[in-house]
Amino acid sequence: MAYSFPEEVLEYVFAFLSSHKDRNAVSLVCKSWYEIERWCRRRIFIGNCYAVSPQIVIRRFPEVRAVKIKGKPHFADFNLVPEGWGAYVYPWISAMVRSYPWLEEIKLKRMVVTDESLELLSKSFKNFKVLVLSSCEGFTTDGLASIAANCRNLRELDLRECEVEDLSGHWLSHFPDNFTSLVSLNMSCLGSEVSFSALERLVSRCPNLRTLRLNRAVPVEKLPNLLRRAPQLVEFGTGAYSAENQTDIFSNLVEAFSGCKHLKSLSGFWDVDPAYLPAMYYACTGITSLNLSNATVQSPDLVELIIQCPNLKCLWVLDYIEDAGLKALPSYCKDLQELRVFPSDPYGAEPNVSLTEQGLVTVSAGCPKLQSVLYFCRQMSNAALITIARNRPNLIRFRLCIIDPQAPDYLTLEPLDTGFGAIVEHCKELLRLSMSGLLTDRVFEYIGTHAKKLEMLSIAFAGDSDLGLHNVLSGCESLRKLEIMDCPFGDKALLANAAKLETMRSLWMSSCSVRRCPSSNVEVMDERGHPDSRPETCPVEKLYIYRTVAGPRVDKPNFVWTMDEDAVLRLS
Amino acid sequence: MEEMELQLKLALSSNLDEGFDLNDHNEEQEYDRLMKKKRCFDETFEEIKNVQVPRTLPLLDHIDLCEEEDGVVGWPPINSWRKKICHHYHHNSRRGCTTPTNYVTVKNGCGGGSRSNSMYVKVKMEGVGIARKVDLSRHHSYQTLIDTLMAMFANEKVQGYKLAYQDKEGDWLLAGDMPWG
Repeated sequence: MAYSFPEEVLEYVFAFLSSHKDRNAVSLVCKSWYEIERWCRRRIFIGNCYAVSPQIVIRRFPEVRAVKIKGKPHFADFNLVPEGWGAYVYPWISAMVRSYPWLEEIKLKRMVVTDESLELLSKSFKNFKVLVLSSCEGFTTDGLASIAANCRNLRELDLRECEVEDLSGHWLSHFPDNFTSLVSLNMSCLGSEVSFSALERLVSRCPNLRTLRLNRAVPVEKLPNLLRRAPQLVEFGTGAYSAENQTDIFSNLVEAFSGCKHLKSLSGFWDVDPAYLPAMYYACTGITSLNLSNATVQSPDLVELIIQCPNLKCLWVLDYIEDAGLKALPSYCKDLQELRVFPSDPYGAEPNVSLTEQGLVTVSAGCPKLQSVLYFCRQMSNAALITIARNRPNLIRFRLCIIDPQAPDYLTLEPLDTGFGAIVEHCKELLRLSMSGLLTDRVFEYIGTHAKKLEMLSIAFAGDSDLGLHNVLSGCESLRKLEIMDCPFGDKALLANAAKLETMRSLWMSSCSVRRCPSSNVEVMDERGHPDSRPETCPVEKLYIYRTVAGPRVDKPNFVWTMDEDAVLRLS
Repeated sequence: MEEMELQLKLALSSNLDEGFDLNDHNEEQEYDRLMKKKRCFDETFEEIKNVQVPRTLPLLDHIDLCEEEDGVVGWPPINSWRKKICHHYHHNSRRGCTTPTNYVTVKNGCGGGSRSNSMYVKVKMEGVGIARKVDLSRHHSYQTLIDTLMAMFANEKVQGYKLAYQDKEGDWLLAGDMPWG
């Protein structure tokens, strides 16, 4: 058959496809489309750094300009993945240095990044523009100094909740005097003080600066000078937001904030003195995103600030807001789409604030666009969950953490099965669900039956038997990531659904009852020694199963055991 | 299932031999502080006497944690950044008690085994990031418990450590002083 469409035209059309799913679908149409697509793909997303090797990626996609890679499983955030597990970025960087000299963007999440990696990348990619490191670790401020000194075309340096060894604030002074291309700087996770004059000069000479997120060490007195030099800022994060009582600071702040007519996002707010919050009111009309999750401030002051933001779409706040504060949201912030309420005292024996399920119920009733919820509280009822589900069938993310594990419905003392069942039944577009409280196998029946679009599920202290896990694995058609801790799930469900595991990115199970592993590409983390060295009845500590085309890892630490097929046969 | 209130610790025997009394070291103040946190699980389940709720054993606090966690590892699901905010604000006054060194603290966690007859107790060794859990119902003597714990912490230098536990009065006892039952 004559091939009528010139490649160039197809390439041109493919360039409009930005979603990875679409690009992947296109590449499956036929061999020539596969070839055209792979030569023109510029952006790669690797959801699990061990699912594929750098060599395989480079061989297939020779002209990549932007890479996003994720490393450790999500539960690493809660200290469940031992030190030294892996997710090193160095092999990726060294391979890309050879094959992608024109690489512009690297975005990493939960990976181990060394100063060596940062130095290598800063010296090798001449057109490097964007570095985003989320929840990464392993580097020091010396690595940042290399980036600052060598990346002449840098636009974004964004460090989100990274564990950085903070040797000094001197790294910032390594940006050359003729460096003017900065668009985004997020140093909020760093500890030490940078030179304020260097920071002011940097901000002054970068006219395109849109995002500036300072660290705690920048005192509130320094803010007016910075804001005056960058009135074009769209996203701003303060440092410590308190000072000795000096009235001119307040008026300077008011003046500076009112000069910033484009602000959409505010964050920072460590050590807040509530008296300084009103200084921001003039900047609040345009605010769509407010992150007050560091602000240890009581409800009235919090609410006063929040209600200044009629266009608020995203609110992150501590539970100091209380039910009373949440009640204000439907009246003042009707466009709210995302709400995250974090616990101020999660380890306290008694509740320290008056935040209950009622707060969430009122927001769900009054904010019609609410679609994403993360909520920590100490009590919940089936009735409340059912109400929330009925109010907000448009929810796509629902993460509820009731702080006491296995807490039942506080009104009826029953499990919360029907409540969560209502969530999955009514919220048909639900993509992500995290559950807590007392839950039996029944809730997994509901999930398997209704949660057809669910992609990520997090479970802890739930279920009675393998039937629970089986219902999830067999019923949730879209499931990609499943993470389970402390549930009585064992081998049967895994063995019965081994094929399902290959359609998922990963499965994590810790402190469960798994003894035998269903297939290869299974990692068992056990610091007590090889699983074979213990009695057959002894469950494994941690299990991480993921699909991969890269074969077994070559960088395993001594507490990770990959189960091969022989092991499965021996144990059975 | 019998209710047992335990806190187990592994300690360097040299410390103990020098007449080092586990019952000293501000234990009283420490104990009061611990008891406040312990209530969390005690009360939750004590109030629900007629319901089939799995009993979790009372939780006692860690002293001088590496991870700064009072409960089961990984719960509640809060990352280290959030913990810094919480602890900095609230726990400045609670912390600062000096701890005996070289202790492994053991506390009762709500492991998945709480629905069966297992009794999971959490063991922590000072200086080690990851806690372990041991099921007391699987052991019938202190010796097997100690052997298991030694195997669990095999990566660390466990020579010269001893096992100690804190009973509900807050007194520290050496494992072996009382009969296993």
